[in-house]
Amino acid sequence: MIHSSAGEAGLRARLHVLCVALAGALASLPGTTHGAPQTFDTALPVAKGEFVIRGQLVAVRASDDPSPADRKLEVVGGGVVAGYGATSKLALFGALPTLRKTLDVAAGGQRITRRTTGIGDARVFARYTAFQRDGRGRSLRIAPILGLELPTGDDHDRDGLGRLPASLQLGSGSWDPFAGVVATYQTLAYQVDAQIGYQANTKGDDVELGDELRLDVSLQYRLWPRALVSGVPGFLYGVVEANLRHRDEDEIRGDEDPDSGGTTLFLSPGLQYVTRRWVLEAVVQLPIVQDLGGSALEDDYTVRAGFRVNF
Amino acid sequence: MNGIPRRARAAFCALLGLAAITVTAANAVNEAEPAARYALRVDGLACPFCVYGLEKKLRSLPGVERVETNLEDGVVLVVLREGAALEEAAARQAVRDAGFSLDGFERVASGRGP
Repeated sequence: MIHSSAGEAGLRARLHVLCVALAGALASLPGTTHGAPQTFDTALPVAKGEFVIRGQLVAVRASDDPSPADRKLEVVGGGVVAGYGATSKLALFGALPTLRKTLDVAAGGQRITRRTTGIGDARVFARYTAFQRDGRGRSLRIAPILGLELPTGDDHDRDGLGRLPASLQLGSGSWDPFAGVVATYQTLAYQVDAQIGYQANTKGDDVELGDELRLDVSLQYRLWPRALVSGVPGFLYGVVEANLRHRDEDEIRGDEDPDSGGTTLFLSPGLQYVTRRWVLEAVVQLPIVQDLGGSALEDDYTVRAGFRVNF
Repeated sequence: MNGIPRRARAAFCALLGLAAITVTAANAVNEAEPAARYALRVDGLACPFCVYGLEKKLRSLPGVERVETNLEDGVVLVVLREGAALEEAAARQAVRDAGFSLDGFERVASGRGP
């Protein structure tokens, strides 16, 4: 049964990591105004008084289940992120993801599918450019980030079989602060971004999800045009990103859950086409290292595709 | 010319004269008060998506007719309407508001276009 399967706790851990990663990616505005990472934020500016909108679709599949339950998980998400330049250095962001989670398991000689769809947990955060050094055709910036994940997603959802397990709920039911620092070095030929972030998850109903540490690095290299021409040509970037996630074990009614938490390293190649007004981008996140607690499902892949528009 | 009626010839000559007067007057105005152009060297400008916010800020300044960016050089050409002028302080603030740094401000030779 789903609630009692050996890997449920691990699945919950895996799902939460995926959803946090999804929400984080949706919440971050890589580039709110630039060529920038696709899985995390950038330190580049949003002009004072201006808006930037980003949309992203994310599809996650995990199916490598060693247990008899033969679980298969799919999470498809979409969301819109809005960024506003409060000042030339302070940018405010808000993100609201929409999620569709599907879990397929073997139980009693047949397969059972449980599914839920709706909005997930929203994220709001502020980014302040604390250090900026500009040169001709290049810029180095460092910006701390402070934010909060809000319990806007339903954490009491039900289907015909009863209340959905915590792993399938759309929200965590908790108020989770997060903080980080992102550094960006951008030139006309390439851009490097690096971010460190920490999210302190607080207690929901019965479960306190483990805190999460993430380290991200991104390189974007201009593939076209090879030689710059006058004016403002569109740029095609080749993108390679690496995302390291570590999450502590969950606590269920005060007890640590050994089938939760763990470390995952993704390597993520992608492409990005950048113009004055809009950006089109896509990246595939491939798990290189997965050291998860207990019997958690391992990722197969994550695909992200999106756009950004300057207003 | 003998086949063309005298009235038609007179009308043609009048139109020609009017056109000449118009061109001369327009040139006189240009020489008296040409549209000012400023070259702004902007540091930190390194990708196309960055340019939009900067150009929008500069276009919102009074008297600005158009803005043209050369990303490779980091130079933004600001063309003003006739009779308008651009203060360096205003340009610097607009560039700063867009999140970049103004490294050079220069009025360039006048002309109708870049």
